[in-house]
Amino acid sequence: MDSDNWSLLQTLFHLAEETPAEDRERVIAEHCSDPELVRRALEIFYTSSALDDSPPMPGPTASLVRVGPYSLIRLLGAGGIGSVYLAERIVGGAPQRAALKMLSPHAAGASFIERFHREQHILGSLDHPNITRLIDAGLADSGQQYLVMEFVDGEHLDLYCDHRKLGIEERLRLFLEVCNAVAYAHRNLIVHLDLKPSNILVSQEGVVKLLDFGTSKLIRTDSLLTTTVMATPAYASPEQLRNESVTTACDVYALGAILFELLSGRRPYANSSVAAMIERAVTEERPEDLLAAITAEGAQNRGVSEMRLSQSLSGDLQTIVEKCLQPRPSERYVSVDSLAQDVRRYLEGEPVMARRQTAIYRLGKFVRRHRVGVTACATAAMLLVGAVSYAAWRQQQALREARRAEQMQLFMHQLFRLANSNYTGKPAVTVPEFLRLGVKMLPDYIRDPADLLQAKIALAESMFDNGDLDDAKTIFEQTAASARSMGNADAEAESEAFEGHIAFSQGDVAGGKQLTADALQISQRPGVSPAVRVRAADYYAWNRDSLYLFSDEDLRLLRFAADEARRSNLPLHEKADAIHLLGSNLEFRGHLDEAKPLLDEALGLLNQDPASVCDKAEIYGELAYLDEAKLDFQGALPLYQRANSGYSACSGADGREAISMLAWEAAALTSLGRAPEAVRLLEQARPAWEKLPDRYCRWGIFANSLARAYIATGRYKEAEGLISQLATTCEKVTAPVGMGFVEYIWAESLAGQQRYQDALPHAELARKDWGEIPASVTLNPEGDKRVADLDHLLADIQGHLHGPPPPLPDSHPRAN
Amino acid sequence: MTDDKSKHGEVTVLLREWAAGKPDALDRLFELVYPDLRRIAGSLFRGERPGHLLQPTSVVNELFLKLIRQRSLRFEDREHFYSLSARLMRRVLMDHARSQLRDKRDAGVSVPFEEALAWIDVKPVEAIDLDRVLNELEALDPRKCRMVEFRFFLGFTAEETAELLNTSKATVDREMRFVRAWLYERLHST
Repeated sequence: MDSDNWSLLQTLFHLAEETPAEDRERVIAEHCSDPELVRRALEIFYTSSALDDSPPMPGPTASLVRVGPYSLIRLLGAGGIGSVYLAERIVGGAPQRAALKMLSPHAAGASFIERFHREQHILGSLDHPNITRLIDAGLADSGQQYLVMEFVDGEHLDLYCDHRKLGIEERLRLFLEVCNAVAYAHRNLIVHLDLKPSNILVSQEGVVKLLDFGTSKLIRTDSLLTTTVMATPAYASPEQLRNESVTTACDVYALGAILFELLSGRRPYANSSVAAMIERAVTEERPEDLLAAITAEGAQNRGVSEMRLSQSLSGDLQTIVEKCLQPRPSERYVSVDSLAQDVRRYLEGEPVMARRQTAIYRLGKFVRRHRVGVTACATAAMLLVGAVSYAAWRQQQALREARRAEQMQLFMHQLFRLANSNYTGKPAVTVPEFLRLGVKMLPDYIRDPADLLQAKIALAESMFDNGDLDDAKTIFEQTAASARSMGNADAEAESEAFEGHIAFSQGDVAGGKQLTADALQISQRPGVSPAVRVRAADYYAWNRDSLYLFSDEDLRLLRFAADEARRSNLPLHEKADAIHLLGSNLEFRGHLDEAKPLLDEALGLLNQDPASVCDKAEIYGELAYLDEAKLDFQGALPLYQRANSGYSACSGADGREAISMLAWEAAALTSLGRAPEAVRLLEQARPAWEKLPDRYCRWGIFANSLARAYIATGRYKEAEGLISQLATTCEKVTAPVGMGFVEYIWAESLAGQQRYQDALPHAELARKDWGEIPASVTLNPEGDKRVADLDHLLADIQGHLHGPPPPLPDSHPRAN
Repeated sequence: MTDDKSKHGEVTVLLREWAAGKPDALDRLFELVYPDLRRIAGSLFRGERPGHLLQPTSVVNELFLKLIRQRSLRFEDREHFYSLSARLMRRVLMDHARSQLRDKRDAGVSVPFEEALAWIDVKPVEAIDLDRVLNELEALDPRKCRMVEFRFFLGFTAEETAELLNTSKATVDREMRFVRAWLYERLHST
């Protein structure tokens, strides 16, 4: 009967649901001419309402009022391995309360009691104010096993925080208590394996209590039903989901998931099914970004706006959570203690360790340098060895003979083995050390001089990439010399190009010019590979332009390099580099519209390579600047943020690049009228900036940006302090553009304090500097706006000094 | 086993065949997966009805994981896998009910139809009825039948069901209200 009108029946049913009771029967009847169908729809509707009103799950069943010596009072909760009751037992005439957990038969298993006694002495030794004690275990009359634990009258950690609208700091302090308890248990060789907010109570007095410690040990592990039943999938580490061996690293992961939820308001991957979680576990997907989990409701529960929450979580907290949630145990915090230390550091405003380069990361960079698409799942050391040695010598075709390949494998293998034996139990061997070791060992393994030359160049490039310029330079000098004597133009040009590039980086302009010019010349000889020709042209032209030379010849070379890289279809990274350099140079010269597509192209290429964080960060920064140059500060913000997180991952959050991106971001915030955020951002980063060598001159953007933000928030005195420091330290170093801007900010900070007499000379100096700017530099709306702002300031100052303001200049000289 | 099957994992291949409408595949799948499912589900029956039982969701997830580890199954096929599991779980439970009925005739009193884990409280007689009514539903609206199987037999949440059926939680909730009442009506009106 239903079959004929199945969909109509449903429509009527839902209509009935949506219509108020008094109109219901009339409305339904109006919608359908078949009285039988109307009757049927209403019947189903009334049945549905009745089902909704029926009582939900029953409490403890009548047979479950007494268990051993305990009487059950009420059901507290139910989970995968059983139900927990509030229970009471009379001890010496006085009632004693406890939490009693009835285990489902599959969880307990036959040897449960035996296992309990075996574990009891270990569990009994857990004596910590934040851990509930395991009191008893036994067999109920029904044959069911149960555990008895200390009863805590409290709220679940997450609810406790939300109900009180605790802020981030208070939440972190509670989280630290949790960490302390877990770390204590770990020191006693006990892992929890099912940490989650509902296993963590906060008592009325605000004391954190962890439940269920050690119970995981009592649950039988031999059945197929282990992990997904036991642990709550949302907090279970990938290795638990994969049913692999479990360690303290699982608890670190779970703590990360809890922290994720405490901070953002929801669990990682809150809406995904268990199947999807297992999938992520097996594919080792990157952890979800903390910021993506922020909602208005979450922010409200933390007593702040969504934007504020997003700001406080971005950066260090984001990194801390991410480090806990790494799919591979080895990439997480090594212990709960080190996690707790980082949280403490954050609370005390110190830089967190999570951002420091680890040996693993640097090794990653070593691999990246050799352009290997190292896939996320390639964990095996041998695979890595194979990939590195293959890639390092791929371009030289030196691997044609199997014997050589074997030698290389052997060499790499030995190298890793040596590095690892140093690694054990000691601070990690650094990559510079690793590479130096490699250079030292090479001659023992590689006998063929040509192979040896290529291997040395590859290692020296890695040193260069790692910032070990001195060592790289020494090796390149050697390789250039031996290449010359062997008549190997390719290797000679490559070595000299690097040598010259390093000389520029170290401030040896004359040496750098000479070496790159030589390299360029050698690279034009026949037989030189396109890759080397591209590199030689790029290093020559790029470095000269960095000195503001801006010759047509340089631009021609950069264009040649980009075209050649495309034409010869160089490996992804090298192609991207050449295109990036051209785009970047055009941007530098003010040709914004031409630069944009090139930067996009380079970014697109790098996106195909998982190991290009550092290079991408650079491009993001440049794209951000492009937006800013067009006064699109809103567009620039997320790009600067990306650049910052890229550099943070690449060379540390406290590195100069990451900090300068932060400074640019703050400057954009100030321009958007969000100066208080800018101040907060920069003050947080200030300790790291203070530690940078040469911080005022080379990283003056930081002081500039902070001073601007201070001015915009009325803190003129502080702005003046910063900017005068910057100006006096760097007077002779900075290009006129920079100094003009410094003078302008200086004038603003003084004018803000009504010290117009003092402000005037600075404003005039700024005007003079900007009048001398080469046209190429400010060919953009942002530069024009600055000049206009300065003119306003000048007029304002003069107005205060000489009565009514004179009319504003029609336009500044360079507009139009 | 053909080369193709050993390469992709037999379950995967069969699932695809089943999804493509080859009825033979289901029987073969049944043979492959049923013993595990039955064994796991067995622990559900052995318990003396404690307050709360193992979630069947976990049972199926365990099986899923096991097949993945054995490389007998691929992730891309998880929708099919879960549909199959729900179907099989239903079969396991109905077999169980039938065997109980054979053992002792049980007239059975009507028990309110609980949405969560419907079958746990259902008497064998009712279970057989439920099976019959679900067959009716299958004929009328296969999609809703899947939905019921996910929710009732695998204990999936509305979110999980929505994900597998490629729809929203709100839609699942809405359709479930209708289908639950409809099932209840059918069970109690005959």
